Amino acid sequence: MNSFLLIFSLAWRNLWRNKRRTLVILLAIVLGVWAMIVTAAFMRGMIFQMLEDTVDNLAGHVQIHHSQYLDDPVINNSFDPDSHTISRITHDPRVLMWSDRIRLPAVVLSERETTGITMLGVNPARESKISFIGKSVVEGRFLNSSSDTGIVIGQALADKLETRLGKRIVLMSQDINNEIADRGFRIVGIYDAPLDPTEKAFVFVGKETAAKMVGLKGAISEIVLRLHDTDMVTPLVTEMDQLDHTIDVMSWLEVEPYLELMIQMMDTSMFIWYLIVFLAMAFGIINTLLMAVFERTREFGLFQALGQKPRFILFQVWLEAILMIIVGLLAGNFLSWISVMATGDGIDVSVFARGMEMINMSNIIPFVITFNDLMIANITVAVLGMLTGLYPAWRASRLVPADAITRI
Amino acid sequence: MSHRLLQIFSLWLFAGLSCSSQADNAQQLIRQAIDNYRGITSYSEATMTIHRPDWQRVIAMKAWTEGLDKSLVRITAPKKDKDSGSLLLDDNMWSYAPKINRVIKIPSSMSGQSWMGSDFSNNDIARADDIIDNYTHTLLETKNHNGHKLFIIQSVPHEDAPVVWGKEVLQIRDDHVLLEHAFYDQDGILIKKLTTSEIKTISGKTIATTQRMQKADKENEWTEFHSSVIKFNIIIPKNTFTLSNLRNPR
Amino acid sequence: MNHVVQCEKVTKIFEQGLIKVNALTDVDLAIEKAEFICLSGPSGSGKSTLLNMIGGLDTPTSGEVYIDGEEIDELNKSELADLRLHKIGFVFQAYNLIPVLSAQENIEMVMQMQGVSKKERNEKSSAILEEVGLQGMEKRIPPELSGGQQQRVAVARAIVSRPSLVLADEPTANLDSVTANKLIDLMLQMNEIHKTTFIISTHDPMIMQRSKKLVKLHDGRIIDIT
Ligand SMILES: Nc1ncnc2c1ncn2[C@@H]1O[C@H](COP(=O)(O)OP(=O)(O)O)[C@@H](O)[C@H]1O
Ligand SMILES: [Mg+2]
Repeated sequence: MNSFLLIFSLAWRNLWRNKRRTLVILLAIVLGVWAMIVTAAFMRGMIFQMLEDTVDNLAGHVQIHHSQYLDDPVINNSFDPDSHTISRITHDPRVLMWSDRIRLPAVVLSERETTGITMLGVNPARESKISFIGKSVVEGRFLNSSSDTGIVIGQALADKLETRLGKRIVLMSQDINNEIADRGFRIVGIYDAPLDPTEKAFVFVGKETAAKMVGLKGAISEIVLRLHDTDMVTPLVTEMDQLDHTIDVMSWLEVEPYLELMIQMMDTSMFIWYLIVFLAMAFGIINTLLMAVFERTREFGLFQALGQKPRFILFQVWLEAILMIIVGLLAGNFLSWISVMATGDGIDVSVFARGMEMINMSNIIPFVITFNDLMIANITVAVLGMLTGLYPAWRASRLVPADAITRI
Repeated sequence: MSHRLLQIFSLWLFAGLSCSSQADNAQQLIRQAIDNYRGITSYSEATMTIHRPDWQRVIAMKAWTEGLDKSLVRITAPKKDKDSGSLLLDDNMWSYAPKINRVIKIPSSMSGQSWMGSDFSNNDIARADDIIDNYTHTLLETKNHNGHKLFIIQSVPHEDAPVVWGKEVLQIRDDHVLLEHAFYDQDGILIKKLTTSEIKTISGKTIATTQRMQKADKENEWTEFHSSVIKFNIIIPKNTFTLSNLRNPR
Repeated sequence: MNHVVQCEKVTKIFEQGLIKVNALTDVDLAIEKAEFICLSGPSGSGKSTLLNMIGGLDTPTSGEVYIDGEEIDELNKSELADLRLHKIGFVFQAYNLIPVLSAQENIEMVMQMQGVSKKERNEKSSAILEEVGLQGMEKRIPPELSGGQQQRVAVARAIVSRPSLVLADEPTANLDSVTANKLIDLMLQMNEIHKTTFIISTHDPMIMQRSKKLVKLHDGRIIDIT
């Protein structure tokens, strides 16, 4: 204990002996830790935002389709929303809310343009709660009821079609007999989604109006569910998917498999990033400590002459490295915390918006610090840093006292 | 909107509807024209000139029609397009390309695309919505034109009609020759206009033999139809309007 | 055996590249408890090398060194460290002190490593500081002390835990004669009171005079013991 106290105070004081050098290397550690945590938070935020967008963007947490629908999203692959299975799912206590939709590929025509879109026939009351559309109508209004004859389209689509609120456009799709089904709709609302592709892809009409247009009698294309907790998604999906083989119950991750891939990719790239940052840091630590050891060669000889065992010398130098890392980690975490706090809602990346939208991302990316990421960053630096510090410490302990003392 | 292809090839049919041209009610005028058109068969040969600022293309074709909902168009020239064709049955349209030897059903997603590169869209050609039910027709004016009465009719699509135009204005003579068909957007701005520049009497019927579709904002872009041979009430073999016939030109 | 130190045919050859330097050749030396010995000889005669061999800081090329009858060549590094910690005190020519520790901490350091309680350490360090005449300077760190004061702290540290042997390698080389004399007084006093064995290397005639036994080295050989 005595020896430890001595070693600790020696390590601590030695740490501040060459203040400038220590501060420089501390700065490297702090910035490294900061870079790790903030990058992780940014990437996590990006994933989080993508997940949120996906869930918000009509995908929900869980989706129910006809078993063939995803292969062929046509009108015939629809299902009865009043079946026993469906009501069992929608009444499950884990389900927070749900929305039923007629979802069909369609063509929208204006006087000047024609483009392919996805037509969503929705129950406005339910839909506006579950997806982004509820708070995204920026002009006009959302649909009033399932039999509303209006249409709500995205701002980008309106621009593309060279049309606007109050104008009529024509939707064209296929009816249950594979004949062309078409109808004129007046634009009653324009919505603004985080992403242009969303705005260009989806138009909202009343579910009853859509059903009448394509000749569907009660059947729908999909139900999306939002659960109380994302942790419940997998168990619920596993359980419900077995109920009825004509019905496909899937989680949003299955719907957007690239998201999962993306998450894995980010985890990997994050780890590589950690290693790169750490390597830079490790060079700093080793360099500084080796220099310190070299400068203090005589002192280590002296310690040995006074009877300090080599392993205590090793420990003394190592402790110095450990203290340096601990101080660096504390400051780095604090700095990260400050920068995350300072950015508030997130970073506005609209400068890069075009690129971001291409990879399906919003303009504002929040920082999301997870306990795991914090741990990984801190543990990486702590463990690898300590291992790094071991080398100079070992060098110090291996000095031959006579040589060390004669070298002045 | 009436069946555009029929309109292109067969608006002369209005000429055959001699009887009630005196109708002063626009709705009735069109109804009578269409009613009288039912069951009539036709064969025609025509050229379609597609004009662009830096190029021009002429396509020669033959067409058979039966009533409002059946028509077959077969390209005869230029060589590279020879034997390709389009078949229209009700609202559906199929295209045949001999090079790939395949018949493709034109999906609704392609309905807005140009038909054979012209200023007509597939949609323009294929749509056979009920012109009576989808519009409110108003007789705006009655004029004189080369000794004929000329009816100027405004057709405004109904709220839920699958028509994108704000209004259409037709100029129809009492002998049912369509002189002009203008399409306006919902702000009342002219988008495109079909005009007749040649009227002939063939087999005792007065018909428009040259018509041009002109985009309002692009003076140098237009498509012109010129009919050289037209026969009515011919006997058309039963298998004419079938997919196998589309694929195997006679 | 009642020899504190015993050297038998100690030879040290330094190899620097192709050149071999015979720093010590067949040195035989036996030192008894409470002796006060002066190692003298010109620079390069092997004084430091001999002290290092005795203190176990370096190992002889051949020959044996015994401390209290224990052959130090047989000891591993850790045992050697313990031997030094408990039996030997060192004073070097300069830079004896740990720069980040105060005078008092430098003195207590050895006791701390020995596991002496804080209270006892404090008592002993205060006493010794007074003995070496540095009361009031406990909290000063080495740069705040003069060369003589530093050396006194070093002597205090070397003797505070009552080692049986103190090895001092030219302890007065950097001091003026008055200060040097005081330091020798101090060491003689310690020798008298605590019966601590001292081996001091020097080429200062004044110290040679005052020592009780003089060992003369020349070119790594003992040429005279008086
Ligand atoms: N580490 C070493 N490497 C090589 N030669 C050394 C080393 N240490 C001492 N010597 C040589 O050994 C001889 C004795 O040196 P030293 O014991 O330091 O003499 P002194 O202390 O009497 O001045 C000298 O010639 C010196 O150059
Ligand atoms: Mg020397």
